[in-house]
Amino acid sequence: MPQPTGVIVERFAQSLEDLEKAPSFAKSKYQTDVYQEANRLIDAENGLNHLYQYAYRFEETGVFQDSAWEQANKLQPPLVAGSLKAKGLPMVIEVLSELRMLAIAENKYTHPTVSAEDAEEFLNEVMVLNLNLLFPAATESTRIEKHENDDKISKLFQFLISHLSSKALIKTLIHEIERLTAQRPIMIKRIVSMIGTAKRMLDSDSDGDDHAELKKYIAAIEGPSPMSAKYKDIPTYRKELKELSRSELISESVALAKSMRETGLVAPHHATIIRFLCKHHPGLLVYTLNLSSKGSANLEENMELVQQVIKASIFPATKQAIYGLALMLERGVLSHSPVAPGLRRLVELDIRADVRNALHETVQQGEGLTANSILVAGTIQVLGQPLGVGQGFNPTCQAARGISLWAQHAPGFLLEIIPRAARDGDLDFTFEGATIHSKDLSGGLAPDLDMELDPVSLVLVPHLDKIYSEMMSRVALRGEDGHRWVNPAFYGNWVPKGFSTVTNPISGFVQDYSGFVRLFYATHHPEYNDDYELIYPNPVGIFITNVHGKMLGLHAVSIIRIAKDPSGVERVYFYNPNNDGSQNWGQNIVPSVAGNGEEEGESSLPFHEFTSRLYAFHYNPYEQGEAYAVDASEVNDVLNLAKESWGKDYTWV
Amino acid sequence: MELDQIEKDSLVEEAQQDAETKPYLTALVGWSVQAIEAAARMNRPFVVVGPPEFESYAEKHDIKFVGWDFNKINESSDGLYKQLKAMGAELAIPLYEECVEWAGALNARFREEPRVFNRSLLLRDKGMMKRKAQISGIKVGVFEEARNKDDVKRFLQRVNEALLKLEGDHLDPIHVKPLDKAGSVGHMAINTVEGIEKIQDTDFPLLMESHLDGQEFSCEAFVHKGKVRFLNITEYVRLGYSNFVPASPKLEQKRPQIEEAVQKLVDAFEIEYGVIHPEYFLTPDGTLHFGEVAARVPGGHIFELIERAYGFSAYEAQILCSDPNTTEAELEAFFPNPYDYDGYAGCLMVHPNIDYVQDLNIPDELEEHPYFEKHDMFTPPQGKVAERVGFGNHYGTIFFFGRDSEEMYDLVKEYEQYDFYK
Repeated sequence: MPQPTGVIVERFAQSLEDLEKAPSFAKSKYQTDVYQEANRLIDAENGLNHLYQYAYRFEETGVFQDSAWEQANKLQPPLVAGSLKAKGLPMVIEVLSELRMLAIAENKYTHPTVSAEDAEEFLNEVMVLNLNLLFPAATESTRIEKHENDDKISKLFQFLISHLSSKALIKTLIHEIERLTAQRPIMIKRIVSMIGTAKRMLDSDSDGDDHAELKKYIAAIEGPSPMSAKYKDIPTYRKELKELSRSELISESVALAKSMRETGLVAPHHATIIRFLCKHHPGLLVYTLNLSSKGSANLEENMELVQQVIKASIFPATKQAIYGLALMLERGVLSHSPVAPGLRRLVELDIRADVRNALHETVQQGEGLTANSILVAGTIQVLGQPLGVGQGFNPTCQAARGISLWAQHAPGFLLEIIPRAARDGDLDFTFEGATIHSKDLSGGLAPDLDMELDPVSLVLVPHLDKIYSEMMSRVALRGEDGHRWVNPAFYGNWVPKGFSTVTNPISGFVQDYSGFVRLFYATHHPEYNDDYELIYPNPVGIFITNVHGKMLGLHAVSIIRIAKDPSGVERVYFYNPNNDGSQNWGQNIVPSVAGNGEEEGESSLPFHEFTSRLYAFHYNPYEQGEAYAVDASEVNDVLNLAKESWGKDYTWV
Repeated sequence: MELDQIEKDSLVEEAQQDAETKPYLTALVGWSVQAIEAAARMNRPFVVVGPPEFESYAEKHDIKFVGWDFNKINESSDGLYKQLKAMGAELAIPLYEECVEWAGALNARFREEPRVFNRSLLLRDKGMMKRKAQISGIKVGVFEEARNKDDVKRFLQRVNEALLKLEGDHLDPIHVKPLDKAGSVGHMAINTVEGIEKIQDTDFPLLMESHLDGQEFSCEAFVHKGKVRFLNITEYVRLGYSNFVPASPKLEQKRPQIEEAVQKLVDAFEIEYGVIHPEYFLTPDGTLHFGEVAARVPGGHIFELIERAYGFSAYEAQILCSDPNTTEAELEAFFPNPYDYDGYAGCLMVHPNIDYVQDLNIPDELEEHPYFEKHDMFTPPQGKVAERVGFGNHYGTIFFFGRDSEEMYDLVKEYEQYDFYK
C-alpha cells in the first residue's frame, strides 16, 4: 500500500521548511530531501497539485540553487524534454522548475527577471515543442521508443494545460507551424505531425471556434476544397470527379492550388485530380498548379514531358511533388536543355537494390509505388524548391548545400549525378587533377546516415559526404583552411577563388578581425563593393551560437543575395540547410524567415548581424570595393558582437 | 532615542561582547558543509582552509576561504600559518584525514606548543600509533611495518608459525593497510602467499597486523582539556556498510570499561582537544583490543546518527571541544547524558553490487517500515560503477530510526544484501 499523499505532503513541506532555513552555502545538504519527497509526490495521486501549492516558494527557498535551473530567465524550452526524459534527479528538478514557471505565469508571485507573460510564453513553447509527449500518438515508433517517464511527463503536461489558456497555446502552435511552413521545406513530416496534434487539441477544446488559421492548415493536408472536404476518401473522390463539369473542375482545381500556394502543403486529393486532368483535360493543369504567365508558358512548351512526369511520379503518396512541379515550372527549369532528357532517364533508370529499398522506405507500405516514381517525384521537388533541401538529423550541411546549389544553377549536373549514384553506386569528382571515387571511400561525417531525408538527398548524400570529407583530409596539412580549395572543387566553378577566414589556421587565434570584416563588406555590401551583384550562392561558414551567444560549433550556409528589405535595412538573405532557419542565435540575433522580404526558403539577418557570426567566405579577388571606407563604428559593432559571443572561445591577437 | 538608534547601539554592544569572548577566527581545515554550517550556527567567526576547487563556491556564498593544496609540502607551507594568523585565526580544526597534521601544525604554532604537531603525526602514521599504544600498555595485536612484499611474506609466515600452524593448514589472515590513509582505504586481509601479489606498490610502506577476533565497533570521543566529555559508541552491523548509534544494550553495558579504555588512550596519546574516533575489538571473553584511532570527522554518517539519537550536533561539539577557551559550563550545558537517548539511529550505505547500473528499486516495504526515515538515492543515469575505494563512494544512504536495537539490527541486516540497483 503506497503511503498516503497527505503524509508525503507534510514531509515535503517540512523539507522545504528546512531548506528555507539553511544558509545559502548549505542548501545542497537540504535539497536532496526536497527532491526525494517531490519525487514521491510526482507519482502520488493529485501530487502535482499539492506540489504546485508550494511552487511560489521554490526559488526563494533555494530549491534550484547551484543547479542548472537556478536562473529562470536563462532556461530554454528546447532543453526541457531532455531533462524530463532523463532518469532520476534531472526529471524531478525539471518538473519543479515547470511548476515554478506556472506559479510565475499565474501571478502567484512576482519574479525579479521573469514576467508572467514571459513565463506563460515559456510554458507554451515547451508544450508546443513537446506535443508528441502531450498527445502521445499511437504510432509504431512511439511504441518502440516508449519511455518510462512518459506517464509522468504526460501527467505534468496535462496539469500545465489545465492551468494555461488553450487559446494562447494554440496561438503559439500556429505560430510554430507558420514559422516552419514559411521555410517551405521539402520534408514536411514534422509540420504534418504538429498539425495532427493541433487538430486533436481543437477537438478536445469546446470553444475553439476562432482557430481559422489552424483550420486552414488542417484543411491543407486533409482537403481544402469543397469537393475534397466532402469526399475525404480518395477513391470516392476520384469517382465523383468524373461527374464534374469543366467549370466545376476548374473551381475545384483553383481551390486546391490556392491552399497549396499559401501553405506549401498538398492534399492527397490534389494528386488525384491532377492525374485525372492530365488524362482527360490537360488544358486545365494550369489551374491545378496556379501558374503565373511564365509558368504556364513553360508548361505549354513542355506539355508532353509534364504529362509523362505526372503519370510517372505524382500519386497521393508523392503529393508534395505537385508543389515542386508548380515551382519548377515557374522557375523555367525545363527550358534547360539537359533537364528533359535527364528526367526521362530517371523514369526508366535501373536503380540498385539498396537504393531502391531506401527509396521505398520513404513512403508507407502498400502504396504500390516504384522506386523510380519516388525518385522522379523527389527530383522534381528539389528542382522546384532548391531552398527546401534539408540535412535532416545529419551533420551533412555541406552535401545539402551542394544539392541546393546545383538544383538552382546546374540542374543538368544534378540530373547527371543522381543516376550515377542510383544506378552505379558511385560518384566521381576531380580534385586537383586526381579523381576521387566515392565507392572507394569509407567513413565520412555521417557513416550512419539518418534516413529522414528527401529522395534525392537519400541517394546523393552518402556519396557527397564521403567525397567532401576525402577532399578535406587531402588538404588537412596545408596550414590553411582547406575549404579554400575544397569548396570550388566540390561545388563547382561558381564558387569564387578568393577566400578569407577569421582564425589563423595554424595558431587557431583570431587575427586581424577588423580586416576580415572590412573585406567582407568590401566584397559583399552594396555600399562598398562597387555594385558587384552576387550571382551564385556563396558557400560561407558561420559560428552557430545558442540563445545566450555561446558557441555551439561551425555550420555551413549559403548567401543567396544581399538586398534592402522593405524597411530599407540592408540584409543578407541566406539558405540554411538545417530547415530551422529562425533559431535564436543570442544577442538578439534571430534570423527571420518571413516578413523581411524573404523569398520562400530564405532566412535573413541585417548585414552586420550576419557578419558577426561569419567564420569564412569566398570572394572574387577582382571584385573588391572600398574596404577602408567602411564605417569604423559599424566594424566596431560587429567586433563587439563577435567578442561577446563565439569570440569567448577563442584567443584574440 | 530614536528607534533605529537603539537597534544600532545594541548591535555595537553585541559586537563588543563578541570581541571579548571570541576575538579570533576558527580555521576549519578541509571541506565539510556540515562543519561550516555548525560554525555559522554557533555564530563563531571562521575561515575555511580547503582545496582550491571550492574557492568559487565559497566566494559565491560569502564564506571566508583560503585555498590550500594539502598534498604539497614545502618551505612555503609556513605561509598558511602566516596568512591565517594575519586574518586573526587562533584555532584549527581538521575535517578529514589528510588535514590532521596540517591542523596539528597550525595549532602548534597558534598555541606555541610544538608537541601538538608531533601528537598529530602520531595519528597519521598507523605504525607509530600502534607502537605508542603498545608502549602505553594498551592491548594491541602483533604488528610490523612493511616496506616491500618480502616483508609481508615473512610476517605472514612468522605470525602463523607462532600460531603453531603446520604445513598445509589454512593460514590465519593478517591485515595490511597503508600507514597514512583514512579508514579502510587500501585495507586488505591476506591469508595466502599469492594474496600478497594483490598489494599495490604504491601502498608501501604499510602496517601489517595479526587478525583480531571479536566484535568491531567504534567510539567517538569528544575531548576537552584531556578529558573525555562525551563518548558515543557506534555499533557496526557490517563494517563500511551499516552501523547504528547508540550501540545495542549488550555492547552499551560495557560502557564503563570502554570509557576507561578511551580515557587511557587519550592520556597515552596526550590528546587534549577535539574529537577522536578509535576502533576496538571486543573479544568473546570480554577484553578490548585497540584497533586504530583517527582525529577527524568519522565516516559512515556517524555524526549525523549521533545528532539524530542524542539531539546535539556533533559538528558543533567538535568545534567546542577543539577550542581551549570553551568553558566547563558551556560543555556541561552542551552534552547530554549518554544514557539518555530517544532511540536508535542507523544507516545503510548502498553500493551497487553490479558493474553497470540502469535502474533504482526501493521496495515499498522498506519505505513503509516505521523505522524508515529517508534515503538520498535517485534513479542513476546509466553507467559503469566506479571501483570502490576503502568504504567510500557509496551511491546512497538509507536512514533509519527506531526504539528497538534488535529490530534495527535485523532490518539493516535484511537489506544489506538487497540489490537496490539493477
